[in-house]
Amino acid sequence: MTALAAADVTVALDRTQVVKTVSCAVRSGGWLALLGPNGAGKSTLIRAIAGLVAYTGTVTLDAVDARTMSSRERAKVIAYVPQEPVLPPDLTVGQYVTLGRTPHLGYLATPGRHDRERARAAMERLDVARFATRRLARLSGGERQRAVLARALASEPRVLLLDEPTSMLDVGHEQQVLELVDTLRKDAGLTVISTLHDLTVAGQYADTLVLLDGGQVVAAGSPATVLTKPLIESVYAARVSVITGSDGHPVVAPRRSPSG
Amino acid sequence: MRTPLRTAAILGMTAACAAALAGCGSTASDTTSTASRSTAASAAASTPSAAATFPMTVKAGNGAVTIKTKPTRIVSLSPTATEDLYQVGAGSQVVAVDNDSNYPAEAPKTSLSGITPNIEAIAKYNPTLVIAAQDNGGLVAGLTKLGIPVLIEPAVTTLGAAYAQIQQVGQVTGHAAQAATLTTSMKRQILAAVTKAGSAHQGLSYYWELSANPFYSATSNTFIGQIVGLFGLTNIADKADKAADGGYPQLTQEYIVTAKPQVIFLADNEAGDGGQSTAIVAKRPGWSAIPAVQDHEIVGLNDDVASRWGPRLPELVAEIAQAIERAAAQPTASPTL
Amino acid sequence: MRRRIALVAAAAFLAVAVLVAAFVGAADLNPLATAAALLHLPSGLDPLDRAVLFQIRLPRVVLGALVGGLLSLAGAGYQGVFRNPLVDSGMLGASAGAGLGATLAIVYLGGTGPGTVPVAAFVGSLAGVAAAYATGAAASKRTVLGDGVATLLLAGIAVGSFLTAVQTFVLQRSASDIATVYSWLLGSLSAASWQQVTTILPYAAVSSLAILLHGRHLDVLSVGDEEAQALGLRPGVTRAVVVAASALAAASAVAVSGLIGFVGIVIPHVARRLAGPSYLSVLPLSALLGAGFLVLADTLARTVLSPAELPIGVVTALIGAPAFVWVLRGTSHVET
Repeated sequence: MTALAAADVTVALDRTQVVKTVSCAVRSGGWLALLGPNGAGKSTLIRAIAGLVAYTGTVTLDAVDARTMSSRERAKVIAYVPQEPVLPPDLTVGQYVTLGRTPHLGYLATPGRHDRERARAAMERLDVARFATRRLARLSGGERQRAVLARALASEPRVLLLDEPTSMLDVGHEQQVLELVDTLRKDAGLTVISTLHDLTVAGQYADTLVLLDGGQVVAAGSPATVLTKPLIESVYAARVSVITGSDGHPVVAPRRSPSG
Repeated sequence: MRTPLRTAAILGMTAACAAALAGCGSTASDTTSTASRSTAASAAASTPSAAATFPMTVKAGNGAVTIKTKPTRIVSLSPTATEDLYQVGAGSQVVAVDNDSNYPAEAPKTSLSGITPNIEAIAKYNPTLVIAAQDNGGLVAGLTKLGIPVLIEPAVTTLGAAYAQIQQVGQVTGHAAQAATLTTSMKRQILAAVTKAGSAHQGLSYYWELSANPFYSATSNTFIGQIVGLFGLTNIADKADKAADGGYPQLTQEYIVTAKPQVIFLADNEAGDGGQSTAIVAKRPGWSAIPAVQDHEIVGLNDDVASRWGPRLPELVAEIAQAIERAAAQPTASPTL
Repeated sequence: MRRRIALVAAAAFLAVAVLVAAFVGAADLNPLATAAALLHLPSGLDPLDRAVLFQIRLPRVVLGALVGGLLSLAGAGYQGVFRNPLVDSGMLGASAGAGLGATLAIVYLGGTGPGTVPVAAFVGSLAGVAAAYATGAAASKRTVLGDGVATLLLAGIAVGSFLTAVQTFVLQRSASDIATVYSWLLGSLSAASWQQVTTILPYAAVSSLAILLHGRHLDVLSVGDEEAQALGLRPGVTRAVVVAASALAAASAVAVSGLIGFVGIVIPHVARRLAGPSYLSVLPLSALLGAGFLVLADTLARTVLSPAELPIGVVTALIGAPAFVWVLRGTSHVET
């Protein structure tokens, strides 16, 4: 089980600071959700943790500075799923998921029996094993989403970084995917960091929320402490009401100003 | 000075002799006799006007051209025309020649180009006559606008046409008589070479190489092919002459080797022009089985002489004749193909 | 498995092509005698025919296979690196550089001897790619184009255009060499010899091996630079290695054969159509198919108008264009 911590992470893109001295941490097996309005720096922060963009500050994986790891070593620990993954249309699901084994293969190595086994296991876990020989172009949206997760799982990571994994999905598919991630988290002991746009859903699944605005941390903590009316209204410049749902999690509902 | 009529008579007799003596192989005699006859005809037609001088109208490659006075500032954009001009005695009238005109050495070589001519650069020499081998880049149109007479004397396809060009060059420069003498002498030399070569070489096969990799050759239908044809030789490229090639087919090495030419002529053997020296050709893999290579009958020609159709044609014929005589003397030479 | 079948079929195709080519030619050698000679049995072929078979025809067939394989591998390599199916083995200034090198050798060195033009073309081809790569790398530091790949492609086009313009300028100043340069540009295997084969063999071996070993890397690259990096690959390094190896392969081919089009772009597509998009299959399949294709094309080029020859670039285009149409019609989706 890995704990991940970011300390004073700053990312500058094109000479503008997009992430400003952000610090946050998630315990082993926990789920941290990054929230914030568009342009708050959520995706950039995730990419910095994945090592895809230059940053100052430290990211530690189980107290090991990620900078000391080669990109292959980092890839063995962290699986990154971008918001819009590239899906080569003619690749079969099996071939695509096997790409997830890349961190475990030497420079000149090709996937062996063990790798194929791991890929198969991941596909079964995500219920896409029956599509193994089907081309990615022939899958539905939900099936593709599961194939992408299968690829992430195939690399046997300890940390899963998900950038807006459900923004394109309807409510039913969104629930399916998040339930799946939660089950995987518990079964495989994964630590999950995700950006989520839906505040209520974030509150239902994540145990730690970090609210970003303009690249800086505005609030961090349990859903109840972060999802408060004044915070949300000021950060999102929206009108909301926050109520407690039947399961005890906060529900954030947009409120329309009375007309007339 | 000979009178025009006497000149015509001598020419006519020479033509008749050529027709009689060149009685080897039908193709050869046809070419020579037709050529001589047509030359005699045109000589007869044009010689009377040699005395008539200027202004005159001649028919060149670009149609009818009128030349008002004897040109004293001639620009030549054709290496062949340059040689013609100097051999007919018009050298003192030449003010500039193009950058490929390297013979004779005293010709005033400039950076003018005959292939991509620059009208303004030509006009700077204030020419009263321009001679070129092709009308590139609107040369004729441009010079006509400037009122400069221009003659296009293109590459010829027959010996007769070569003589006619020399005659014309002589005429327009006021040296018709010298031109006539020149062509007579050329014909005499060529005839002599053909006669001297005898008939032992009938049917010898030859390969004329214009370039290597890819291998371009000239069939007997081309100008150069006709010259070699004077000796009654067989050209191995003839079988490859499909209409589209215009007489210059690209041959496969396999074919060249299996055709077993007994003589190889190289028009690409000089260092700046292909560098296919006789040594290099002899070493080509697979070529050692060719009779021409085994008998050392690979002739490197002077590439300039082999690519022009001017007064040095007898030199070319002589080189060819020498090679043929040697080849005919070889015991392995066989007249079959 | 689809891949295995395709590879075996391609190998068989190559074998058939080589056999046909060995038996066919302007010299009209007796097939039985040829077969006997090839098997080192007494054949009754006279020395001249033996020379034709072993010194002229066979090296040409072998060279054709080498050139076809190299061009196809280079094309597939570039297509993988650039994630773009419209890329040819001559990209990144490789063809333009070779053309300029050959032109300079013909114009200023008179094309003397058998070695000048091929060496000049080889060096020119590599220099062209190096220039394009350097330009692309320098430019992508300053551009907002997040995709280093697009910048590299654009740099290749710019460098290629520049080199071609220089070539035209040089030719204009020496117009008498136009015909020679043009025939080189059209591509030809007419001067094939064992010496040429042994000269390019080391470069061919090294570059082919390098490309083939990076098949898996190219597959990973197909999901984009960012995801590839997240998977632990270093896209920049893979790109540099594959581009260098493809450039070397293309340069070796072009040095001995001039510019032959269509092979580098169409063959990888045919391979993809037969065995799917994974480069673990596409690379070896392209090599085999390309080799067989060029041997067949050259056989046609030297027999259709026998004893005259067609420039091989004409044959590859005449066959390649309809083949390309067939490939495109069967492709479900073309990614750019």
